[in-house]
Parts: sequence; C-alpha cells; structure tokens
Amino acid sequence: MWWERKAEIPGSRKGETQPASSMIRVATPQRETPMTDAALKSSVIPASNHASYLSGSLVLRGELSGKDDLVIEGQVEGPISLEEHCLTIAAQGQVKSDITARQVIIGGSVVGKISAAEKIEIRKTGHVVGDLKAAGIAIEEGAYFKGSIEVVRDKAGEVPRAAAASRSAL
Amino acid sequence: MSGSLDWLWARLQENPNPHVLDCGPIRSPTVAVLAERGCRLYVGDLLSLVWRADGMLWDRTPEIPLFRTERLLSELPAIRPGSLSVALCWQLLDLLPCEARTEVVRRMLLYLKPGGVLFLILREPHLTKGADTVWCLETLTKLAARAVGEKPFPYPPLSNREMQQLIPAGSTKTVLTRTGLREVLAVK
Repeated sequence: MWWERKAEIPGSRKGETQPASSMIRVATPQRETPMTDAALKSSVIPASNHASYLSGSLVLRGELSGKDDLVIEGQVEGPISLEEHCLTIAAQGQVKSDITARQVIIGGSVVGKISAAEKIEIRKTGHVVGDLKAAGIAIEEGAYFKGSIEVVRDKAGEVPRAAAASRSAL
Repeated sequence: MSGSLDWLWARLQENPNPHVLDCGPIRSPTVAVLAERGCRLYVGDLLSLVWRADGMLWDRTPEIPLFRTERLLSELPAIRPGSLSVALCWQLLDLLPCEARTEVVRRMLLYLKPGGVLFLILREPHLTKGADTVWCLETLTKLAARAVGEKPFPYPPLSNREMQQLIPAGSTKTVLTRTGLREVLAVK
C-alpha cells in the first residue's frame, strides 16, 4: 500500500516543510519508538542539509526513487535510483538491491550492484557484496568488500583518479 | 621495485583492460593503482578469513580434522572461468595446509585465461614470522607491506619444486628478494 508523506528535514527552520520534489514513497512505516535527536545524530553519516531520511525502524520493500539526497538507516529491499543525488547508508542501514546515484556513501550493509556517476565510498563499518561501477572509488581500511570494481573512463578516455581514502577512523 | 611485477606488467602491456583478482583485504592504494591502469578488479578476501583462524574453516568431526577448502573459496566473487589476467594471491599459500593448496591453485587456474599469471609471495624457510602481513601495490611495480605481521607461519614453506608441481601444465618464475621472501609468478 503506497501513500505519500512529506519528509521533514532535520534541523530545518520551524514551520518549513520539504519541497514537493523531495517526497519519498514509503510502504509500511512501522515506527515503534521515535528516535531521539542524539541517537539520530550519533548514527548518521553527515549528508546535505536537504537530505531525506529513512529511519532505522522502517522496512521498505519496493522501488525507491527520488530527487533529493537520501540517508538510509533502516532496511530497503528493492532498487534505489537517485540519479543526480547522494545516497548515504548509515552504519545500521541495510540495502538488498541495486543502487544508482550520483554519489554513494556506505557505512552499513549492501548486497547488490552499485553504480555512481561520481564516487562510491565504503566506510570502515561498511559491508558490501556486489559490483561497483563509478568514476571514483574510496574504501576505508576495515571495510568488507566482495565483488568487482570497475572505474568508468570519462569521455576523453582517461581513467579518473580513484580516491585513496586512507582514514583509519570515521 | 619488484622485478616480478615489472615482468608481469610488461607482459600485459598489450592488454588495456586486464581483469585482476585480489585475494587479500582490499586496500585503497591497490584499488587506485589498478584503476589507473584500467583494470577491472575482483576482490575476494581469502586472507582475512584464514587469519581469523576461526572454527568455520576446519571440520573437526572426523579423527583427522579436515580443512574446508570450499568454505574458503566461497569468499571469492563470481568470476567467469578463463577471464582473469592476474590473480594476486599474496602470501595465501604459506597459510594453507598442503591439502588445501592444490585445490586453491586449481581454482585460480580455472579462472585465469591461457597465459594468465598467478602472483604469489612465498617465504624462505628461515623466515618464521609475518604470516599476517598485509600487502598492497604502491605502484604497479612496487609492493608495500601495509602492516608487517608478527604471527608465526603455521605450515612448512612451499618449495619451488612443490610450486611447480601445483602448475603441471604451466611454468613458474621465481624472483628472490632480500627480505626472505620469494615472488613467484605461475603462468597458466
């Protein structure tokens, strides 16, 4: 069963709601207990000020697309498409399907193909099984990865530099 | 500079997009170097599983414990047989019992294309520690030990003759280093 709800931006001005372009469709919200601000901030990888959030208690089965940045703390089973935007999977987030976005930051678990126009970043808490395809790949030490990596050449035929994230801590 | 890697990449100079398998923990320098070269990189971290030395790799039900080679090899991603140009096994064979070495090499040879190369680092007998050393590529022809290990090697070293016996239809090239390690290239 699908319905629309306006996603609120954490930290936004009072009374303001998110523009229509960033609406996300959710299936069955199962919000048991609301997350406190402290719990939200401690578990979330920083994203843009206009990001939408799929909180930790939500399980979404189906196709997810949007026109805004998205932070996933819950579970998603279904393809995700954020063509021009950034997808962040927080440490407790779980995604089982293919992902297409401009940039993908993974701190949680992903099983599926990941395709990014710009960059894929796997943090040390990340656990990824699948194929990566992007202009840039950065993997922190301690991250788990199993699959293939393909760095996409630009139109000039030159291989973009793969970012070398050598951070040892988040 | 590594003489063996220099030889390896000179052999691949006609191939603009070689497929490479990395059997160790993924390291950003290796990814960056191979991406710059135009490689398609497969990652299946067999080394970390062996280092953990947890019970999942050994079947202790029978009188003589059996090494679960298939469990180890299940850590590899899906790779089309005959598609790899290079398999970077690092020090994997030094960490496996004899019965597992044969099967692991057989699987690598299955994935390698004709003329493909299995790259290994094997220890000399006098080198007793360093089983958990993490290797990466600093450049295409330069190896770097990201973390020099202190764990003792659990099994006897693999001799050159034994290595050649693992590649019955191929050839091996061994490059000695000053660090007590041998860089071995096994060509399918």
